[in-house]
Amino acid sequence: MIQLHNVYMSYQGDGAALSNVTLKIAKGEFVFLTGVSGAGKSTLLKLLYGALQPTRGQVVIDGVNVSKLPSSQLPFLRRKVGVVFQDFKLLSNRSVLENVALTLEVLGWGKKDINKRVYHILKQMGLEHKLNSTPLRLSGGEQQRIALARALVNEPKIILADEPTGNLDEESREKVLSILKEANIRGSTVVIATHDRRLIESSHKRLIVLDKGHIVEDSDES
Amino acid sequence: MSRKNVAKRPKLAREGVGGRLHYFVERAFTNIRQNLPVNLLTIGTISLAFLILSLALLIFVNLERVTETWSDRVQVTAYFEGDLSPGDLSTLKARIKAIKGTADIDYVSREEALQRFSGRLKGQEALLEGVSYEILPSSLEIHLKKDNRDSEAVSRYVAQLKKIPLITEVQYGEEWVKRFSHFMNLVRFAGILVAGFIVLAVVFIVANTIKLTIYARKDELELMGLVGATRLFIKVPFLIEGVVQGVVGASVALLVLTGVYLAFLHNADFFFSFNTIEAGLLFLPASHIVALLFGGAALGFLGSLASLKRFISL
Repeated sequence: MIQLHNVYMSYQGDGAALSNVTLKIAKGEFVFLTGVSGAGKSTLLKLLYGALQPTRGQVVIDGVNVSKLPSSQLPFLRRKVGVVFQDFKLLSNRSVLENVALTLEVLGWGKKDINKRVYHILKQMGLEHKLNSTPLRLSGGEQQRIALARALVNEPKIILADEPTGNLDEESREKVLSILKEANIRGSTVVIATHDRRLIESSHKRLIVLDKGHIVEDSDES
Repeated sequence: MSRKNVAKRPKLAREGVGGRLHYFVERAFTNIRQNLPVNLLTIGTISLAFLILSLALLIFVNLERVTETWSDRVQVTAYFEGDLSPGDLSTLKARIKAIKGTADIDYVSREEALQRFSGRLKGQEALLEGVSYEILPSSLEIHLKKDNRDSEAVSRYVAQLKKIPLITEVQYGEEWVKRFSHFMNLVRFAGILVAGFIVLAVVFIVANTIKLTIYARKDELELMGLVGATRLFIKVPFLIEGVVQGVVGASVALLVLTGVYLAFLHNADFFFSFNTIEAGLLFLPASHIVALLFGGAALGFLGSLASLKRFISL
């Protein structure tokens, strides 16, 4: 599902953010990506949803070589990938319903179907009563779950989550993790970038450790 | 919630170009509602800019009318000896009509000339006692078409007129026509200069206001790209919003101008006017109103398009 071959990534004027990264993630896998700040976790995720192009090497997502993808085709790749951003990226002037609906509007769904589907996913998140609230009125944990709902609402093939449990209390963290696990059970490939050791240890899933842009540990290969 | 349900996409919201356009228009109006303060601010700024533009237009339209009234006084008088037979007169009129630039011709007989003369000497009619109309020449007063009233065109016209055998003398107030032409050129030049500056200022203000509106929503633009929206999908509602802002802004400006016109200007004395009956300002003609509305729409559209280019890096 996800393949990286000798990927090298450097930001202008800086050293390598990723260096010689080769990686395979199979369909339906659940992977944790960890490492200290600046290790290259977020850069790796950005390569996977086409926000960045590698300086060298190949990134292949669901059979599509992202490195050679024309920008006009990028939206169609992104529709297969649900992303949970570290800063949530919720639109403060839109209701919860409208925030989550955005993913489906882009796909051209009809209003009725969108409303049904959004209600369904929010119910799964335990947030159906917040349908008409605006994000700023929600707690951090609730905002995180709305961001999760927006990423999952179209059941993407791949789910990427950047620090999805950062700053969450124990209960919210468990809730978020169980939602991601459920999505994985339904067939989505899940990649989570996190610092949260407890989250990783309690999950018993594949772990990839990055340090200074290199993969220094991959539990799948041990 | 099985994957099968999602793979088989539900019925799309209004298929086809019309359906998508309907969605985009709906989205644009929802966006305006959701970003009402920013939109009101933008529309307010556009209105102010267009109010200045339409006020300037109103002044130009009225100046043009006044100068046109003035140019009506550009008249060429062709004199000839004695009275002409009706046959000669109609031949002469036909020859003059054939000269490019002739608008209409009035025949002034010698009797009529004397009547006019005595009319001008009101109170001193005694001076004309015993004077016969025969001492005055008959003439043709020729009015020129609007485009032939400048100094050079009048000179060319007079040269042609002089070639007609029966005409003995031609008068057209050469000095006055020259001065009038210079003045008209000056007015036109100043008008174009001022209008150019105002249009530039309006374009600058509107484009930058729209840019700020879009900048305020750059997170939304970025997010739409990240969830898989195509460039067209992101841009079209913003472009429609720009057009709506432009048209509403221009309409508000025209409404305010109409209000100001009805309240203060429609019966204002216009100091340039020679004709007191026509005193008072004219409102903008329909063609100018339509042009302003289209200008608003075009500015809104182009302003949005230029700003979106900066923020959509997909």
